[in-house]
Amino acid sequence: MSDATGSAPEEPRRDESDGLLDTHSPRKIVAWATVGGLAVLLAAGALFPDSLAGTLSDVITSRNTLASALRLSVPIAFAALGGIFAEKSGVINIGLEGLLIISAFTAVYVTDVTGGVWLGFGGGIIASTLLAALFAVVTIRFRADQIIAGLAVWLIALGLAPFASQVIYGGPNTSTVPTIGAISVPVLSEIPFFGALFSASPSVYLLFLAVALSWYVFERTSFGRWIRASGENPKALDTAGVNVAHVRYAAVLLSGVLSGMGGAALSLDLGQFTGNGPTMVNGKGFIAIVAYLFGNYNPIGAFLSTMLFAGLDAIQTALQLQGIGVPRQLIRITPFVIVIVILALVGRTRTPEAAGEYYESGEE
Amino acid sequence: MSVGDRARDVLARLANASATERILISTAALLLSILVGAVLVLVAGRMTACTPNEAVYYFGTGFCYDPILVFDRLFLGALGDPLSGGWSPDGQFSVTLRETTLLIFAGLSVALAFRAGIFNIGTQGQMVVGALATAVAVLWGATLVSGVLGTVVLVPFGILVGAVFGGLYGAIPGFLKAYADANEVITTIMLNFIATGVTLYLVSGVFKDPESAANQTVPLPEYAQFPTVLFGGRQDFSLVALFFGLLAIAGLYYLLEHTAFGYDVRTSGIQPEAAEYSGVDAPRTVVASLTLSGALGGVAGAMYVMMILGTFQTGVPSYGFDGITVSILAGNNPLGVGIAALLFGVLKSGTTVVQFATDVPPQLVGVLRGLIILFVAMPEFFRLVGKRITDTGSRAVATDGGRPEPAAGSSGTSGDDGGESDE
Repeated sequence: MSDATGSAPEEPRRDESDGLLDTHSPRKIVAWATVGGLAVLLAAGALFPDSLAGTLSDVITSRNTLASALRLSVPIAFAALGGIFAEKSGVINIGLEGLLIISAFTAVYVTDVTGGVWLGFGGGIIASTLLAALFAVVTIRFRADQIIAGLAVWLIALGLAPFASQVIYGGPNTSTVPTIGAISVPVLSEIPFFGALFSASPSVYLLFLAVALSWYVFERTSFGRWIRASGENPKALDTAGVNVAHVRYAAVLLSGVLSGMGGAALSLDLGQFTGNGPTMVNGKGFIAIVAYLFGNYNPIGAFLSTMLFAGLDAIQTALQLQGIGVPRQLIRITPFVIVIVILALVGRTRTPEAAGEYYESGEE
Repeated sequence: MSVGDRARDVLARLANASATERILISTAALLLSILVGAVLVLVAGRMTACTPNEAVYYFGTGFCYDPILVFDRLFLGALGDPLSGGWSPDGQFSVTLRETTLLIFAGLSVALAFRAGIFNIGTQGQMVVGALATAVAVLWGATLVSGVLGTVVLVPFGILVGAVFGGLYGAIPGFLKAYADANEVITTIMLNFIATGVTLYLVSGVFKDPESAANQTVPLPEYAQFPTVLFGGRQDFSLVALFFGLLAIAGLYYLLEHTAFGYDVRTSGIQPEAAEYSGVDAPRTVVASLTLSGALGGVAGAMYVMMILGTFQTGVPSYGFDGITVSILAGNNPLGVGIAALLFGVLKSGTTVVQFATDVPPQLVGVLRGLIILFVAMPEFFRLVGKRITDTGSRAVATDGGRPEPAAGSSGTSGDDGGESDE
């Protein structure tokens, strides 16, 4: 127990973590390479302000970049947190993308009908949780293959949201609704770069809270221990008198709640749901999966790797506006390429022992 | 790797189920999806506005969409209304066959990977890459040959190009899985996005048709497209392409069941440890299966360009995802893919008829796609329902999931399935 579960919540950048993790793990190399690369780039930018490095470091140190990185990371990080709960309990939820899509649409729809943005936010959470509940019943009660059922969740949402939008709004895009708006902390929001942290959408603060709470749940509560045991050694949990199925239901529903917050924040940030092609969610749910794998199932690690993806995304958006040589369409695919590169480098992640397996209790 | 293990687990479970049971489950899943779809149509009909005259009334409540009309249009409409007389092969029926042809290739692509224990969600991307490569290569070839000779040379050439490029694109996640242990579900989905982005870049730049406002390549000349035989050309269907599809079904069936490579693929799908023990080169099999799977996806792309569109345009319909449904509905059996592709072809072609007749959005088929996958993925549910129906004598069904014993027992009764006999 101590070895296996001890390594899982380790934060990627911390050194001397544990004998199990090789000191030169690809995860750490990537993390340090990112930090080192940033340092070199900023130094070069400071020395040669007119070069490409200068433009890049201008973009990176811009307050707007941090602000948009935070905004972009909200849906991904929420979904990643949800994914951690589900997968740690032994249910791989590959349908996060679908949960984001359904909540993004419902949030806008409910806001439109009720006129209340926060009611819409709640509506998004409920929709996502219901879909997660369907997924939970199908995988836990009816033993469906988790990957296939997760794909089904994605495809159902991918069909259902544009279908509903077409029925209600006459097109794949909804009409626009009021947005959540930003909350500015006086004084603190005046700080040059980091001021962006204190002048953000409430969903960003909600995310900080969710990251901290998730960390607390896993590290300090018995529910967190149950979830871990349910994924690592369900038999032991069962023997200890805790119902494995109940723990898994709770974890999957939590993944629905968290993803719902992410999806609702995504669409209410824009005030519209766009449902063409891959919809406005556009792969964020899958990036979330890679984010928590890269973050080693640790809420803080997942948040940091989400910030890495979102930061890159924010930088590419800023670069598009700056008009450097690379074509727009190619810059746009960088996050997806990065995901593949990271996945190739990190390679084998230590998934929870019993993840993906149906657990059948002896009794009942 | 866990995902692979799970695929194998599914396969093993499917292998336990007899062919009859599998067909029953697929049929039940299809019917259940349609039932849920009907409810959805009713609900959607409540959410949209219409005049009282247009509405239909069930249980004393008015609905704007009539599910019975919807499914009448969906199925009979897709077959070209065979009951109402005046049936012509040139109507909607040829659209159905056209969709079926593409779905055969997309379905085979997914099925082959699945049999090797790999989830290839990237058929869509492989198809897009194959489609653009075919359009560009055939356009170049069309400057060299023309006329009947042009068709005879260019069509096979286009298919080959589509297969090669789709195959190369499929090889990428293959290598990543085999040598870097990167989860293929994620990599293939990411590669779908990348394929869309890169082809958009290319087709809005170097390969763009200067005459057109859309992001598309220069249209292929008539002789560089699939010839129409028997069916009129109005619906862009070619019997030749369908013939290629049937050939591919037979070919893949033979490859999987009667060759050494097929044996390697199947054993690595069901029992990877046993496969490696008996000398199967696992990484090589992974790369080969995904390459071949990608090649089939690429051929679907080639068909799309040379039969349907006559050019490459951004926004390729999601045949790749439909292929997942087709393959899962078919139990990943090549012969089953043929039937499942026809069924799903009816659904796809029918939704456009439905849209004309009833205003129900065509996205309905997207929902059905997901529902079918969901229901096929839970055979336990149908077993439970089945037990409830058959076990009238004994106590009511217990609340536990029902152990898989009944399935294993029933597999003894019919061993007629060609596929899974060896473990």
